[in-house]
Amino acid sequence: MNNSVISAKGLVKEYGQGATLVRALRGVDLDIPRGSFTCIIGASGHGKSTLMHLLGGLDYPTLGTVIIDGQEVSRLGNKELASLRAKKIGFVFQFFNLLHNLTAKENIETALMLAGVPDNEQERRAIELLELVGLGDKVNAKPGQLSGGQQQRVAIARALANDPPVLLMDEPTGNLDSEAEAEVMKVLENLKHQGKTIIFVTHSTEIAARSDNLICVRDGQIQEPQAFKKAS
Amino acid sequence: MTNTNLVFKSLTRRKGRFLFTSLGIVIGMASFVTFMALGGSLKSQIERESAALGANLVVTPKGSCAYEQVSILTGEQLPTNITKDEVAAIRSIDGMMAIPYLAERSAIDNRPVSVMGILPGETREFKNWRLAQGEYFSHENAEGAVLGSVLAEQFGLLPGSEVRVRGSQIKVLGVLDETGGKDDLTVFLSLPVAQKLYDQKDLVSYVAVRVDHLDEVELYANKIKDQVSLGVVSDKQMRNSVLSIVGTVNITLQIIAAVAVLAAAFGIVNTMMTATYERRREIGILQAMGATRTGIFKLFIFESGIYGLIGGVGGAVLGGLAAVFAAPLISQNAATSFVKGAQSSFDPMMFVGAILFSTMVAMVAGLYPAIKASKLSPVEAISYE
Repeated sequence: MNNSVISAKGLVKEYGQGATLVRALRGVDLDIPRGSFTCIIGASGHGKSTLMHLLGGLDYPTLGTVIIDGQEVSRLGNKELASLRAKKIGFVFQFFNLLHNLTAKENIETALMLAGVPDNEQERRAIELLELVGLGDKVNAKPGQLSGGQQQRVAIARALANDPPVLLMDEPTGNLDSEAEAEVMKVLENLKHQGKTIIFVTHSTEIAARSDNLICVRDGQIQEPQAFKKAS
Repeated sequence: MTNTNLVFKSLTRRKGRFLFTSLGIVIGMASFVTFMALGGSLKSQIERESAALGANLVVTPKGSCAYEQVSILTGEQLPTNITKDEVAAIRSIDGMMAIPYLAERSAIDNRPVSVMGILPGETREFKNWRLAQGEYFSHENAEGAVLGSVLAEQFGLLPGSEVRVRGSQIKVLGVLDETGGKDDLTVFLSLPVAQKLYDQKDLVSYVAVRVDHLDEVELYANKIKDQVSLGVVSDKQMRNSVLSIVGTVNITLQIIAAVAVLAAAFGIVNTMMTATYERRREIGILQAMGATRTGIFKLFIFESGIYGLIGGVGGAVLGGLAAVFAAPLISQNAATSFVKGAQSSFDPMMFVGAILFSTMVAMVAGLYPAIKASKLSPVEAISYE
């Protein structure tokens, strides 16, 4: 039985056309095992973020297939893809991307609303999630009143709003100091133990070394992970 | 969290922009509602005045223009070119009742009022007046004044009070019952007294004629023309001519107001386009969290609609107040004096209409920005710096 939560075959992504054609991914095959802590690593501009967007159903591949929890992305329309993202994927970005006019709780409630959770259940669930990431006392704080680490933990809580099986994180510790990074990593450890699949795009070799599945992207292709591990 | 909460939080994030964009549509709608309110019921007001005149034909000095016809309905001062002999000639025609009027102006407490010289007995019968207070003129040459009910109330005049007309103190004899027309705002004097006060010996402004048989109006118009060299106009012609003048003014004002609303609508387009660009990343985040394109479209169109709703409510209230308070200030001449009566028949449905119209205009204005927002690709939106 296939234990992959996400798999990609012959993934090609091109932007522009003619003289301005950029080939960001050049035939990527990969499998993300369910419940794994997978790191995608590579230098800037080599296609990490593009790969993450495709694996998260934020974009369609030019060629190839992406299957997320049994559903092939290219076969889905915009509406179905939005629904897939709401149910299966929780996104966390480098710059937190919280809605700054909303409190921590309201940011999570917005995600819950989009996931179709009834209004009267949202508050309880949002507070639970904030407690899960150790921010039970920051329920009504706005992003501007929180440290970087705290904002990223709110972003993680928001990504968990609909209890998705996969957390897709684009350099979530890239903007944090080591103390805040440790806070975030602690939360992720707990989530991994709860069975979540975590896909973590990073530049950090330290974090990559802690992964149980390493994908190295170079020039739009997957490089042999072993070579990277040895190099690091 | 609900879509409504999310929209309100987005709207009030930039309070200054929200306030100024809202003010734009409020002002645009207020001017629109003001003109609609003032002009909307002019037609019925004119028809009411025309009916209150109680005449099928009006005899005016030859060459009277439409403006003078307006004045007959509003009680404005008119040229006094019809002589006693001409009046007698008209009155000598059988099968109709002819009542002469001397239309003049005076001021009470520095506010202009209509003064009308009448044949007391015949005019009362012609107009079917009833007396609310005091006495009526005892004979055709009686001294003293009878007042319209609104005018008496406005100036606190009662039987026994005195009004100053053209430098003479005139005793108030009585106050008429409300008629719902311009007679409520008029000082009535007996014709000889008015002619003497205004130095218009044996002259009148116009003659109102009521024929015994309505199907013979045309016949009587010709009979009058045979007798005297004066202008004769039917009440219907006069009404149409007045409606046409007032209608043109009204439409022009409404077009100007519509331009104000249109300008405000472009303000909304501008605000929403700016919001679309500023909130690209936010749109991307919402999409990543599972918002559909339709969902994003709805959020933006809802935001635009809120501007329209605020504009509609604010504009309707401000416009309604402006119509009530501005009307007495602008109703100082014949063309605008209908406004005085028009405000009293202000239609509450206009409020609802204004709110719906404003919301609809704002939503149409928000269409383009909402489509732009909903068409953003999640990747493009999230990657936006």
